[in-house]
Amino acid sequence: MRIFALLMATVLLLTVAVSNVRGQDSEYSRKGADTCLSCHDNATTLAIFKTKHAVPSDARGPFGHGQLQCEACHGPGDSHAGRVRRGAERPAIFAFHPGSVASIEAQNGMCLDCHSNDVGFGWHNGAHPSDELACSDCHTSHAAVDAVQQVATQVEVCGNCHQRQRNDTLKAFGHPLFDDKMTCTGCHSTHADDASNIMARQTLNDTCVDCHAEKRGPFLWEHAPVSEDCGLCHAAHGSNHSGMLTKRAPLLCQGCHAQAGHPSIAYGTDGLASDLPSQYLLGQSCMNCHSQVHGSNHLSGSKLMR
Amino acid sequence: MMTTSRTGYRALSAGTLLLMAASTMADAPDTSEWVCEYCPFAEGHSADFRLGVSSVSDDSAYLGDANGYDDKGAYANVDGEGRYASDGYRVQWEVADLGLDSRRAHVEAGRPGVYEINVSWRDIPRRRFDTSSSIFQNSTNGDLLLPGGWAPAPLTSQFTALDASLTPRPIQSDRRILELGGRYQLPNQFSISAELRRQQYDGLKIAGGSTFSNASLLPASFDYTTDSVDLGLRYDAESGFVLLGWHLSDFESSDAATRWQQPFSFSAPLGTDTLLRAQPPDNQFQQLTLSGGYSMPRYRTVISASAALGNIDQDAGFLAYTTNPALNPAPLPRNSLGGDVDTTNLAFALSTRPIRKSRVNLSYRFDKRDNKTPEALWERVIVDSVLSGDAEMNTPYSFERGKLKLSADYDLFDTVRVSGGYDRVDTDRDNQEVKSQSEDTGWGRVRWRPTSSLEIDTRGGVSERDIDQYNESVALSFDQNPVLRKYNLAYRYRRFGELRFSWSPSELPLAISISGLQAEDEYTQSRLGLLSGDELSVTADVSWTISDTKSLFVNSGFEKLESRQAGSEQFASEDWRASHDDEFTLYGAGLRLRQLGGAVDLTLDYSRSEGESKIRIDTPGAAADQFPSLTSSFDFFRLKLDWRRSTTLSLGIDVRYQQFETADWSLDGVSPSAIPVILSLGARPYDDDALIVGIGFSYRLGNKNP
Repeated sequence: MRIFALLMATVLLLTVAVSNVRGQDSEYSRKGADTCLSCHDNATTLAIFKTKHAVPSDARGPFGHGQLQCEACHGPGDSHAGRVRRGAERPAIFAFHPGSVASIEAQNGMCLDCHSNDVGFGWHNGAHPSDELACSDCHTSHAAVDAVQQVATQVEVCGNCHQRQRNDTLKAFGHPLFDDKMTCTGCHSTHADDASNIMARQTLNDTCVDCHAEKRGPFLWEHAPVSEDCGLCHAAHGSNHSGMLTKRAPLLCQGCHAQAGHPSIAYGTDGLASDLPSQYLLGQSCMNCHSQVHGSNHLSGSKLMR
Repeated sequence: MMTTSRTGYRALSAGTLLLMAASTMADAPDTSEWVCEYCPFAEGHSADFRLGVSSVSDDSAYLGDANGYDDKGAYANVDGEGRYASDGYRVQWEVADLGLDSRRAHVEAGRPGVYEINVSWRDIPRRRFDTSSSIFQNSTNGDLLLPGGWAPAPLTSQFTALDASLTPRPIQSDRRILELGGRYQLPNQFSISAELRRQQYDGLKIAGGSTFSNASLLPASFDYTTDSVDLGLRYDAESGFVLLGWHLSDFESSDAATRWQQPFSFSAPLGTDTLLRAQPPDNQFQQLTLSGGYSMPRYRTVISASAALGNIDQDAGFLAYTTNPALNPAPLPRNSLGGDVDTTNLAFALSTRPIRKSRVNLSYRFDKRDNKTPEALWERVIVDSVLSGDAEMNTPYSFERGKLKLSADYDLFDTVRVSGGYDRVDTDRDNQEVKSQSEDTGWGRVRWRPTSSLEIDTRGGVSERDIDQYNESVALSFDQNPVLRKYNLAYRYRRFGELRFSWSPSELPLAISISGLQAEDEYTQSRLGLLSGDELSVTADVSWTISDTKSLFVNSGFEKLESRQAGSEQFASEDWRASHDDEFTLYGAGLRLRQLGGAVDLTLDYSRSEGESKIRIDTPGAAADQFPSLTSSFDFFRLKLDWRRSTTLSLGIDVRYQQFETADWSLDGVSPSAIPVILSLGARPYDDDALIVGIGFSYRLGNKNP
């Protein structure tokens, strides 16, 4: 029995200790946001009143009638706001940044308490939570404008982690991401689960033809890889080669085409313009003639020429 | 004594439990006196307008691509943003680049929690070549006509009227996108949403117009319209949601064909002067989706699933077999394709935390494209000149793909997380050389976070793609060399590894992030086709927050993509090899200075990116044939300065300098007559630079706090 008492006392002490270390207040403040704003009245904090989070008529929002205002997200803040003995550290509040006393899981849990359905439950199965990414790593809930949701700034936010893809946008040929005319979310569903390949539509091809519907077909004469995977020939984030091709023609085409005659010839430098200009090498290369590489609906287009 | 002790223990236990509970949750407070009198809720309106003029020093299609600054000269521009809020209603709007071809506008309005609507407009100018020229002249109906006095000849060098007939034909297009959307919250946790989008995409593109052994690169006009609709009905419950969605995408091309007059002459006349090339056919895609998610906190498990059934319909009327009236091919099997593709997409994902410090993810996805387009025999007319004599059967391609992913994370220590996973992809196809293939991938990962500011993350694995059989008879039916293994259908063994290092010490205003990735693909069972592919990528970013108002960043990257492939000129075994190596290097830096002198913001950016591609052909018994390097370099410099003269007025300067240079043997020296049998557009490699200087002011309207 003594052992049990000792154990319980230890648990009690540990609980008190953990409670203090984690800075979890047990009580809400007396006046809600007015308590918080008596100290936190800087422009960065106050910007939240320009956002959808602070609309009193929205009963679901933190500042809706009867809601917990700042403490809806930051948790009970009475001891954080209370008097602190001289020299003592002010108890921390539940916050959304890397040095927070709240774990990333707890931070995300706080957001998902309200936004779980908006985000979709696939989030839990995706790469972002596995990488211990916090919602606040991408979103700025206090800012009047959330940069990751803006056309002009989204690529920069995503590129902070996806550096290879960000660098790809500066390759010679690519989608207009560098000029902020497209966004990452134009193609990617960043909250989606692993099963979706985080594409905005069901598949990669569905996503591509959302804008490039002229390539959807079906065509009378199909090009087999086109209907299956655009990524077999194109590097969507950017490429050294025109058309975002993964490789220069004719070598790209010769990876799959080795019919007798011109498709299987090793075209060398003797076909350059300075020597004996070759129609198989220069200009559009294979596409000088076979320009319907995405498929042809011409009755005589079986060679993808018409 | 025993009873007293038990009572004491019980009290102690209860107290402990209560304190534990209280340490993690608090009683709901009485908020009746939370009046929020210091809360500056949005009310009223404000708007910021920026008016400016810019001067562009030079014409450049490449440097003006997407941003609208493609022509030398002066531009007037308007940007702006604003808000209005009153009594729970909100309006937010933004306009950008109104004076440019890249203009954009967006408005969203509504009553949060009840309804929201949005309208947006985007213009995206795509500029490819401004050095291209052509002999073809557009008729009123879009046909490409030869100039008056044109003398056909068998070779481009014999086109006597060529130089006098060439006129500039920039290859460029414009995409205009109008979007309307809305969402309305119905009673009983239901909500409905709608998004409508119209994309208008038109311009000139390069189209190869071929005949027997020659072709003309045509500045072909196109005019596409794609309308899409997304409707959703959603039910939200406390533990999950269900969403029923319908998607429609309808594509229309205003022209069914590109018509052009033949500039070449032949020993045996074609029998027609005007040739046809099909434009993309009109098509329609519809998809019904049911998706949902459910959370089971008790079991620390979340599941999500979706099922989508779709159909693509393409029934555009066929063009005639030929424009040659002298030819009489067999009657058409039918007047349109009757293209009919069913799509099925199923997805299921589960995330669970069976024990503390762990996470297990399981997902499965099934995608099916079932092309039910009827097959038929079609007579082929070779370049409107002769009947091939053979009837060819169209080949509708279908596939099924199942993708299983299983992964687990475990926090071995507070600072170390280990992860592992297994992926399997099974693919079945019709009418291709490989009917069934599977790919198995195993990977492991270790993340070490010795401190909250330092993380080292390593990942590595292998994958093996295997096939049931490479059916050489199918290859032969397409006249393919049966030894060839197409790279997406071939056996492949892949090794990959990745390392990430990030350090952002709280005691220093620095953040450093370095990553490296290497992957090696080996096609060990291929004797012709792709043999290997290697990728190496390194990135490094450093950012330095000098103070609250000053920051500096530097980033860089290097990437190398190497591949080897083999071919056979003799339609037998390998008799040549080719290597294709791409490199890409990036350097960038930026400086942000805010509130200099209390009123000036300065932004400085510079980046340089360089691409280089090396191609070499190796033939036994001959010296290696190394192509000149394909190179590109892009320099970008930008200085922005904003000077706040008052709370409502700011003055701004925006200076950009861009330079883009390429060396590209596919264009270099390729004048319209350079290739004897190809009449090209003569576009030259890029060698452009442009200085864009803009000045302007911004003015704020409104004095409240929306």
